[in-house]
Parts: sequence; C-alpha cells; structure tokens
Amino acid sequence: MVHDLVARYGARTILNGVNLRVEPGEIRVILGGSGCGKSTLLKHCIGLIPPAEGRVELLGQPLHALEGAARTALLTRIGMLFQNGALLGSLTIGENVALPLEAHTDLSPAVILEIVRLKLAMVEMSHAEHLLPSEISGGMRKRAALARAMALDPDLLFCDEPSAGLDPLTSRELDETLLRLRDRFGMAVVVVTHELASIETIADRVIFLSAGRPLADDTYQRVRQHDHPEISSFFARVAAGEMRGGPSALEVLTKGGH
Amino acid sequence: MSAPSPVFTAALDGGRLCLGGRLERATARALSHALERHAPSPGGALIVDLKGVDYMDSAAIGALLDAQRRAAARGSVWRVEGVSDTARRALSLFRLGPEQAAPPPPTPLMEAVGEGAYAARTALGDFLQLAADTTFALADPRKLRLGAFIEQCVYMGSQALPIVGLIAALLGLTLAFQSAYQLRQFGADIYVANLTGIAMVREMGPLMTAILVAGRSGSSIAAEIATMQVSEEIDALKVMGLDPIQFLALPRLAAIILVVPLLTLMADLLGVFGGYLVGVLYLDLTSGVYISKTIEALAPGDLLSSMFKSLIFGWGIGLIGLHFGFQARGGAGEVGRTTTASVVASIFYLVIAGCFFSVLFYVVL
Repeated sequence: MVHDLVARYGARTILNGVNLRVEPGEIRVILGGSGCGKSTLLKHCIGLIPPAEGRVELLGQPLHALEGAARTALLTRIGMLFQNGALLGSLTIGENVALPLEAHTDLSPAVILEIVRLKLAMVEMSHAEHLLPSEISGGMRKRAALARAMALDPDLLFCDEPSAGLDPLTSRELDETLLRLRDRFGMAVVVVTHELASIETIADRVIFLSAGRPLADDTYQRVRQHDHPEISSFFARVAAGEMRGGPSALEVLTKGGH
Repeated sequence: MSAPSPVFTAALDGGRLCLGGRLERATARALSHALERHAPSPGGALIVDLKGVDYMDSAAIGALLDAQRRAAARGSVWRVEGVSDTARRALSLFRLGPEQAAPPPPTPLMEAVGEGAYAARTALGDFLQLAADTTFALADPRKLRLGAFIEQCVYMGSQALPIVGLIAALLGLTLAFQSAYQLRQFGADIYVANLTGIAMVREMGPLMTAILVAGRSGSSIAAEIATMQVSEEIDALKVMGLDPIQFLALPRLAAIILVVPLLTLMADLLGVFGGYLVGVLYLDLTSGVYISKTIEALAPGDLLSSMFKSLIFGWGIGLIGLHFGFQARGGAGEVGRTTTASVVASIFYLVIAGCFFSVLFYVVL
C-alpha cells in the first residue's frame, strides 16, 4: 500500500524509497530506532502528510489523491490509535467514542449509545463512559482511544506506539486486545512500537527502518535472526554505538588522542 | 559535623603529572587549572599518572579529555599512563561518539530576510484560506454544531457580561467626569450627555468590548486550538474524517460574531448610564434632560455603525485566534507563545480597524 515513498521536511529527507504492503488479517510492525522515520511513515499512511514522492494506497484507493466525500468515505474504513490517545479533552469517553458514529452514520442516538457501550466493554472501559479523559489514567486513555478507533469497525487499524508508557500488564492486555480484534474481525493492523515483548506477541511481519530506509522486511522470526548489526543490536537490547565499538574514554586518554 | 572537603593532589615529576585523591565535580575546576598550568609546550610531552586516584566522575573525565584536546591542538603529546582500578572503571564506562559535525554556519542576512518573507507569505496565505473556508462554512447553517455553538455563546457572551458591563460603566463615568471638568468652564455642562453618548456609542463601546473579548475569548480560542494541535487531537479529527474547520472553528467563530455586537450594545448602554450618573449626581442635570440630550445627539446611524464595527471586530478576533491556534507546532511552550501572539495581533488589528472605521464613518456619516 506504500509505494516508493519519499518524505521530506524542508531540505531533510526523512523517508527514502519505502515500500510497505499489509495483507488483510495480519499485524504488521514498523520497527526502528528513534528518529528513523517510523511516525512519519505512519502519518503518510493515514493521510496527515502528503508524500514528496511515491504514493500511498489504502484498501486499493489513493488516499492523498482523494478529496471531499470520497476521502471521508475511505477514512471511515480506517482507525487510528494515537500515541497519547488524542481523545478530545472537552468530551467524555462515551462522547469521544460516539463521535465518528454521529458524524458518519445516520443511526439513532439510542443505537449509537448501544454501540458505544459495546466498544467500551470490548476494551474493558465500561465504567469510564461518563468520565473525561483527564479523569482516567494513561493506559485507560489508550484503551478508550482504541474503542474510538474501532467505533466504525475499520478494515485497517493503525497504532502509534500503543504500549509506550504502559506497565507490562496493561501493555499485555492491549496486545491481547489487538490480537482478538485481528482474529475476530480479520482486520489488518499496522503498529509502530519499540517494545520487544509486544513485538514478540503480536507481530506477523516486521519492517525495520534505519535512517529512513528499510533494512529488513520479512516475517518476525526472519527479521529477528537478521545479521545486520543494527537489527541484531536492537533485538539484543544493546546500544548500536556500543556494538560498533566506539572508543572508551580510557582508550582515548591512554592512546594519546581523540 | 561538616563533611570533609574534597581533596585532590597534582604533583609534577619531570614530564609526569601525578594526580591523586578525588577527581570529581567539586574539584574539576581546580583539576582543569592544574592541567592547564602543567600543559606541555608546543611539540613537548606530558604523561598524566592516575595511579593515585581514589574516585573519578564524568566532570573529571571531561577535564582530562579537554586538556588532551588542547594539547593535541598545540601539537604536543599528552597521554595517560598508569591508572588506578577506580579510575579504570570510570574511564571504561564512558564511550566517545563519532566526531561532532561542525555547527551550521549562521544564516546570511539576505537568506534570513527571504525566509522571513516566505514564512510571512505562507502565514498570510493560510490566514486567507481559513477566512475563506470559515466564511463559506458559515453560509451553510446546517454545518453548525448547535450544542457547541450555544456552549461557546455562554462562555464568550453571558459569562463576559459582568466584566464588560463594569468596564463600560466606569469608562462612561470617566469620560463624563473628564468632559464635565472642561465644559463647566464654559457653562456647557449639558453637553456632557452629547459627548459621552457619542464617544461611547461610536468609539469606546465597540473598541473596549472588542479588546476585552480579544483578551478573554480570543486568547482562549488560540490556547484551546493550539493545545488540541500539539496533543494530536486535531490530527485525530482529520483521521476520523471530521473537518476541524467545521468541528472546531465554526462554533467558535459563529459565537464570537454573535456575542460581540450584543456585548457592545450592552456596553454602549452602560457607558451612557455611567455618564448619566455623573450628569445627574454631580452636575445636577435632571434625568429627563440628560436622556433627551443623549437621544438628540445620537443618530440611528451611530448605533448601526457601532454594531457593524463590533461585528467586524468579533469576526477578526475569532479568525486571528483560530489562525494562531491552528498554526501551533511543538509542545506546551508553543501554546503560551501562540496565545500571546494571538492577543497582540488581535489588539493591533482592532486599533487599525478602529482607525479605518473612524475615518470611514467620519466621511460617510
């Protein structure tokens, strides 16, 4: 769905020739160190940034070329879980989940309320329906945001670091929720994450980015065994600088120069 | 009992500088001085001995690396020989990264001017686009979210009544006092009613109301939208297929366009009432005379111009708040800067627009 994508901020090239294809019913993980372009890739995928070169197709349609009702219709078929939830602070959790339903369906308020309760129950957040986002914890906000992303039963779900800042138990619960959604609804899920435990649990296929280019794009097991130093250091949880053997202060001082 | 003062020793033995004791943040400055004092001459050599070091932290390592770098720049040999276990552990802990790239050169003046002009042009284009989008959207009332519109009207309008009313009354009172002081010298006390009425309705009522709304509601619009921008709430709306203009901008803009003229009407009346109090209680004018002189001085066009001005003022304040809010990028600091910039721009706009309308109405009316 992403073809030869090039992304630039001013003169800086952030992504250079990235290709990404996601099959229905698979969880695709985008990996890489900080600043490698993962979030930029995601923003292109969901239509927030137009590509400098290349194209993005969602569900067979060119997202960035669409306008008006056609674009809106396509966007209703995708869901997005933002890193911090991005729930609207002035609305209750229930109202947040109801928002896409009210905007894009002609369902009665009573039916919408039932759907909202179903979605909140799905992420075990029924008790928070009338609370404001500021009144719940970060993990609960993410679960509520997942309920909102799922409000219209999308075919494609994007998640930006869903486990970031969560305790291991909450993170595990969120992973299991994603797996359940994939298994029951057959949706495709694209996840940007750093969490090794989470990747191991959910990833079907992985694309590993480095400095805006894909280093590996394969099944999780194959990428895990990839011999590129940056990838092996990532999975070995060792800093790449250390793997590359940057000189220690002792070596520099005793050898007489930087 | 006070803690023992940190101690380190430095002793030069031929071409060998023996360091000992605690090399840490508290002694790092003294260490740098010692290293500089015993720095090798150009082409010379210095061996630094760390065998006597009991403790070493990153500040001391920084001082040693700095001294080595300076010596290398002078073409001298400078290296460490003999390292205590403590120093070895500390020195092994830190790794040097790749050589730092040179900092980018300062932007040439003409380039900076060009970048500034381009940014200003882009911002103006965005502002005009926002003005066009919101104007077209306002033309279709079905797009307005009624609940949000009413909520904004309550916040911008009814909750602003006390402060706008009080300021307007005090302003009318002040105007009347100041004019009474001058007019009394000519026995023209009665014209206080005319002067206060005209000044309040034509100029001060709309302008003061708009300035208060800019400080209260314009800043609130900018801060709210900027916060939503930096917390990705606006991105979330876009991905949900919701138009932020319709969802966020329209209720706020429609509310401010409605409430500013209404607040101005109230400010005009309370300003005149302030003058009335001075006329009746201080100048001993009768109530009937004061009211009739005010009505006589004011033409219907004055009230219409007051309403028209306030409508344009409200529209501008709303647009400026929205524009700065949507332009926000970055973190929490940006929200503060955006809010301040929006208030300054709004007041600047009000003064310029007020001046323009004064000249226009002077010529027309």
